[in-house]
Amino acid sequence: MTQPHINSVPNISIVLAYCAVIILALPAWWYTTSIQRLSLPSSRVHQLAQSHLQLPISLCIETSDVELTNSVRKTLSTQISRELERWKGLLVNVEGKVACAGESDKSDVYTIIPTSGPSWIQGRRLYTPLNGPSYIIQLAHTITSLLAPYSASNDPEHRVAQYSPRYRLAFSLLNEDAAAGNAILDWKIQDGLKANVNPILHRLSPLHNFTIESQVQFHAPLAFTPRQLDQAHGLTPEDLTVFVNSADWTLSSSSSNDPVLHFILFIPSVAHRPLRLLRNDGSASASTAFLVPQWGGIIIHNPKLGSFSGEELPQQDLNDVFYVFTNQLLALLGVPSLPPNVAKRTSGLSDWQLDALVRRRVLENAQGSQDTLLSIVKLVDQIENMPVGEDVKGDVEDALDALTKMYETSTTSLYQAFSHSAESFVLASRAFFNPGMLALLYFPAEHKYGVYAPLFASALIPLLVAALRELSAYRQERRTDKEAATKTIRQ
Amino acid sequence: MATLLDVLNSDDGLLNVGRTALSMAPNTSKSLLSLKTLQDGKVASKFTFTTLLKDAAPRDPSTLDSQDESQHYTLFPLALGQILRQYAVTEMHLALNAGNWNYDRWGYPEEQGVGTGAELWAWMGDGAAITVDERWKGLRNALAGLFCASLGSLDELRTTSPAQTFIPEGTLPDWGVPHTVRHASLPSEHVCTENLTPFLKLLPCKSLSGIASLLNPHRLFDADWHGMGVHVLWREGEGVEMRLTFQSVSDPLRHDAAKKQDWSLQSLFDRTIHRSCPVAHSSEIVVALPKNAFYSIKPEPPVIDRSSAHFDVNIHQKPLDVILTWPEPFSYPLDYQSESTNFSVKRTLRGPSQAHGQLSLVITNHRPYTIHTLYLETMPWLLQFYLHTLEARVDGVLRADIISNLTYIPSVPHSRPTTFQALLSLPPSSTVEITMDVTKAFLRYTEHPPDAQRGWDLPPAIFTPVEFAKNGTSFSVKEGRLYTSTLLVDLATPDFSMPYNVIIFTCSVIAYIFGSIFNLLTRRFVIVHIEPTKS
Repeated sequence: MTQPHINSVPNISIVLAYCAVIILALPAWWYTTSIQRLSLPSSRVHQLAQSHLQLPISLCIETSDVELTNSVRKTLSTQISRELERWKGLLVNVEGKVACAGESDKSDVYTIIPTSGPSWIQGRRLYTPLNGPSYIIQLAHTITSLLAPYSASNDPEHRVAQYSPRYRLAFSLLNEDAAAGNAILDWKIQDGLKANVNPILHRLSPLHNFTIESQVQFHAPLAFTPRQLDQAHGLTPEDLTVFVNSADWTLSSSSSNDPVLHFILFIPSVAHRPLRLLRNDGSASASTAFLVPQWGGIIIHNPKLGSFSGEELPQQDLNDVFYVFTNQLLALLGVPSLPPNVAKRTSGLSDWQLDALVRRRVLENAQGSQDTLLSIVKLVDQIENMPVGEDVKGDVEDALDALTKMYETSTTSLYQAFSHSAESFVLASRAFFNPGMLALLYFPAEHKYGVYAPLFASALIPLLVAALRELSAYRQERRTDKEAATKTIRQ
Repeated sequence: MATLLDVLNSDDGLLNVGRTALSMAPNTSKSLLSLKTLQDGKVASKFTFTTLLKDAAPRDPSTLDSQDESQHYTLFPLALGQILRQYAVTEMHLALNAGNWNYDRWGYPEEQGVGTGAELWAWMGDGAAITVDERWKGLRNALAGLFCASLGSLDELRTTSPAQTFIPEGTLPDWGVPHTVRHASLPSEHVCTENLTPFLKLLPCKSLSGIASLLNPHRLFDADWHGMGVHVLWREGEGVEMRLTFQSVSDPLRHDAAKKQDWSLQSLFDRTIHRSCPVAHSSEIVVALPKNAFYSIKPEPPVIDRSSAHFDVNIHQKPLDVILTWPEPFSYPLDYQSESTNFSVKRTLRGPSQAHGQLSLVITNHRPYTIHTLYLETMPWLLQFYLHTLEARVDGVLRADIISNLTYIPSVPHSRPTTFQALLSLPPSSTVEITMDVTKAFLRYTEHPPDAQRGWDLPPAIFTPVEFAKNGTSFSVKEGRLYTSTLLVDLATPDFSMPYNVIIFTCSVIAYIFGSIFNLLTRRFVIVHIEPTKS
């Protein structure tokens, strides 16, 4: 059979041209369908996550006795080596009067002044007797509970609310059933706040900003019936976990996203009085207040029938209630209490307590911020469909900058380090919860294939078939050429 | 009267001590239930709960930059108070209604905001760092969250500023800055029990004691018409007043086999009052007594004033159930008298096409004198007016002079609604017909709601009576807004599987063209000579 000889070169070039167009168009297609994923400074995050914050604490003993200074230093270091976890992140430096003479005017140095009589504190000074080895051991204990009050045994980690630069304090007076009579319809909350809460809030203002709101409710039913006792009604520890009836009590307004700490004064209805808290063994507890960890505090108040005027919370009860509320607030915010053998001469929070809290918050925020940044980097690496926009990148970078600044200032100023740590923590959380990172998470690959298949399947098949045909034609040609060549040789 | 004395004696002294102490308290709370038998045998009931925050003032918008002072609430609900403070709202009115108020049969409602669906309007002071529109947006979103209603949809597409119709009910404080009003209505909002639950939580006694204990959702939402309202306003020299209202029109004839219009609190609400609310300074049930009919009311009302009976819930013997009975079965009247409404309005949208239509209003003046009224349309851009086709006919005769003082803010597609306001003079005892051609919008694919085939609800038109001053040129707006029924417009709706069809279709066409051209280019066309067969 004779076949007309046709040059197949133009055909191949046409097929190749089509393939080239498709291959060249691939980047454009990739670009238009890809999501914005800016690269995060992950090496910096990993590098910072390795480092641990060390907060220096200088102690100065007002004595020229070098021997005494050395023995205090030694006792304290054995104390520290015994409880390393408790002293984590704190670097204590003890100096005698001679060495710290130049620094004694610096405000953040803790001074220990030997005196006689019981120990007491004022400002950052501790007055304590120091004339004997037993006193030195006692001093080491006192200093431990003043500087590092959060021990492993009484760690309030699960009770203390997570750090936030702003808190809302919502005080509620809830009458279980005012219509049943004998209810407390009003309270002089301004007086209670002024006397107890406001001084604390003022002291804590370097750490948090507070907004206060209060309300009175006349019908706040419980979601369960309290257990009937002989002469009273009781709440078992299990009842306390479901005590807050959030379906029926509107406890705070939803006007902002700041975390809320609730303080509830609950007046049981006449039918449930007196209402007592029960211990695990079923006996009534003397206490009438309890704390809901990270949420708030609740006081159950049974008005005394004799002294009851029927309208307003009596002044004495108001003071008691707000005294308890204040303690609950301090516990929720993680303010440490003073060791029992140390007295303070001024009311309110001492500098020792406040500094210990600030140190705890710095360490917590630094750790939290580092963990959050690490999680962001990990998450973005893991989920390839997750967009990373300009704002997320900016927040991560700013959080890193704030962390760096915190490390720089941690040796000079505790409060500056704190404000940088808070800034970093807030920025890192904002980056982590950025809503833009969810945008294309739910655009599944199947969806894309469903859209592309009708186009590409029908367009690519002719191209593929043609390419195969050209390939086989080319092979055929080569074989015939070869055969022809051998034929000529034979001939 | 004997019963009343009994109550006074049996009442324990403690409550009385409490009440005197409360009357000195700065804040007061009042509740009122008024019940009225309507011409068609139905019963209109209206709950009003008024809380006055004595000597309080709305927040000055210029203080929005700084942190607000601590807020302490007793009778006033914290949840609502905080929202009003946060957005510095001077006066706010929210109404959530279901059903169409029948003015001709039921007369004028006690609470004037009866437009179908949701309606929100607020007066706010300008001149803050945060603009009025941003605060309006925040307010509607916050209220949407508070009342579980889709008030967030009251967006720019529905927001207008009709200051002449919605005049403030209270006083506007003088901060040296102008006040502006924002109004929006959402007729497609369905009011139900999820809105009532948060509403009840705003009441001092919730629904557990006092008059509020009659608010039984099962019965209220079974009523022919029901609506709730939240009104906050400031009165100079008094304070901030919050008025929570719930109106309903229930039909005792529906449940009664003997076709008698007898009703009682038990039959209307399936509840009676067992306890009084300890913080209500006054708590009263007012029953409008029927005129020109035989009836009996139980228990004997302690106070009868003109044509209504008053019961003081705080001192009345419990449980309290008011029963009104008629000896004769009810017969429907042949003709309804419009005592409290001077004119009636029918509004319809005509025309079968999906592109054009005609808006038509038929207004009948029942009075033998001319009535002046402001006619307001706040129409979303879905319907655009051809203003030049506006025509008014009085009993079929074309009259141009009855429409005056036109205000028209045209709509902007995809953003702003139309505000159309005109002053109408309705001639005595005549029927006025107003028509205007409209064009219906063609929406983008994404602008359609999930149930696009249902059509779009259009807000009611609002009529406000006006009074001319003596010189006859200037006029002032009177109380008594009248809402027309809402309209439903059918817009051109696409086939919503369209994008996929388009994708598939386009892909097929491209693949076909590509394949053909590609084949043409690569196929070898060879001329084959067919040698004629040698035969």
